[in-house]
Amino acid sequence: MKGFCLRAALVIILYALQTSLLPLIAWHGQTADLMLLLTSSFGIMRGMRQGSFMGFLAGLLQDLSTGTFFGIHTFSLTLIGTMCGFFSNRVFKEQFFLPILAAVASTLANYFILVLLMVLLGYRFNLVSHMEFMLVPMLVYQLVLAYPVHRFVYALEKHSGEKA
Amino acid sequence: MSRRVRRDKHSGRKIWVLIVVLVSVFCLIFFAARGRFQAPVANQAVAVVLSPFERGISWVGSQLRYLTSNIWDIATVHEQNKMLRNEVEQLRIQNVQASEFAAENERLRALLGYKQAATQFNLVAAQVVGRESATWTSMIVINRGTRDGIRENMAVVTEKGLVGHVVEADYTTSKVQLILDPRSSVGTLIQRADSRVVGIVEGNLNDPLMPHMVNIPKTADVIEGDIVVTSGFGGIYPKGLVVGTVTSLGMDEGGLLVAATLEPAVDFQRLEDVAVIISSSEAPPDPLEPPAQTPGTETDPKTQLAEQKAAEAASEAPADTDASAGNADANAAGDANNTDASNTVNAANAGNAGTGDAQ
Repeated sequence: MKGFCLRAALVIILYALQTSLLPLIAWHGQTADLMLLLTSSFGIMRGMRQGSFMGFLAGLLQDLSTGTFFGIHTFSLTLIGTMCGFFSNRVFKEQFFLPILAAVASTLANYFILVLLMVLLGYRFNLVSHMEFMLVPMLVYQLVLAYPVHRFVYALEKHSGEKA
Repeated sequence: MSRRVRRDKHSGRKIWVLIVVLVSVFCLIFFAARGRFQAPVANQAVAVVLSPFERGISWVGSQLRYLTSNIWDIATVHEQNKMLRNEVEQLRIQNVQASEFAAENERLRALLGYKQAATQFNLVAAQVVGRESATWTSMIVINRGTRDGIRENMAVVTEKGLVGHVVEADYTTSKVQLILDPRSSVGTLIQRADSRVVGIVEGNLNDPLMPHMVNIPKTADVIEGDIVVTSGFGGIYPKGLVVGTVTSLGMDEGGLLVAATLEPAVDFQRLEDVAVIISSSEAPPDPLEPPAQTPGTETDPKTQLAEQKAAEAASEAPADTDASAGNADANAAGDANNTDASNTVNAANAGNAGTGDAQ
């Protein structure tokens, strides 16, 4: 129960940071997606079941709080959490490049899942210019913040594991 | 180092649960996008839980911004001083010109007898406490809710122009859909008096900070630099709010209509304080004042009464009868003149109101 509360607090604080503080350093309206970084880190460390669950919760929070297309982030983050969790037993979790690679891969996957959903919803746009304006800056932010977020989640999980 | 790879033994049941959840959420997206699914209670619960955190972090952010701006000011004070001296010189020159313009303006106003008709808004100031960083939609969260009189579909503005409208009002916070959101549609028109072309401003997925004005006929009189204002059609946005400036024109996908790219009047990157229009009404015209009357022909009721009494007193003396009739005729003529003058002022006010809408 204590672990669950700790994780819930982590999700809420990271989300509040993402919506309140990160916009101050936004470039062209784009900032890092901390919910995505959290989901991918959590999936890598805790496996498929907990990764998908964390993705589901983080996505649901995002959908409920922002008023965007309901379910769009729940769907994409659950998938990302599942995919990251799938590789959790096949990687060395303390490697420096792991969170960075995971962040890049999950950002790309998340972007293209959302592109597909938007196209299915009937929205049309120029993919190349959209990638230039949206994906590239977001990737830069994700690269910068991937390792700190991963280390933070890793330390918190280790701490809660030791307590348990 | 062990080369064995551990594998999770996921039961088939869990995989099926995951697939069912994913398929359900996938279907839910399409239902929600068509407005057939809503979760207002969950939305409010999340808003209640998140708002203290968002307020707290937003406060920390504003303090940080204040601190960094102070440090930056100190670091650049010398350069700033030079620039300010230049600016003072330029402002002095501008001040002289502005005084000339003000005097000219006053003269012209007095000459034409115009009074500005202004639309009055009841505004509630709000701070932006959250901003969606999603790539696909543009929403902000403000720190005012139903407690402060905010309701759905109220327009949100800054002193520079239109921001968007409230799509969801909770007790203490509200969600505002910006005009940059691809789901947003704002009825607009070109402000230029000889154009007045009507169109719809929509969010642009290709460049989220530059919305599009669509549905413009090919032959319409729209040029770069035109200012776009709300048309008042649709009932959400009051007429005359500045939306942005036309920066470029291009054909739409079908090739039959023109789409203009706008630079919004509001700087959405630096949106901190906004105002919600909770009600709007036309300003009532100033009370009519009678023009100055020629001495001896006053039509003031008090004067008339006094004259009537004088006439009655005089009627007792038969010799004064003709003189009283003459006075009554003069009063009637004065009334007619007064009515004409009132009509003229009313017409002038109506003309002003029309000009205000157009502006």
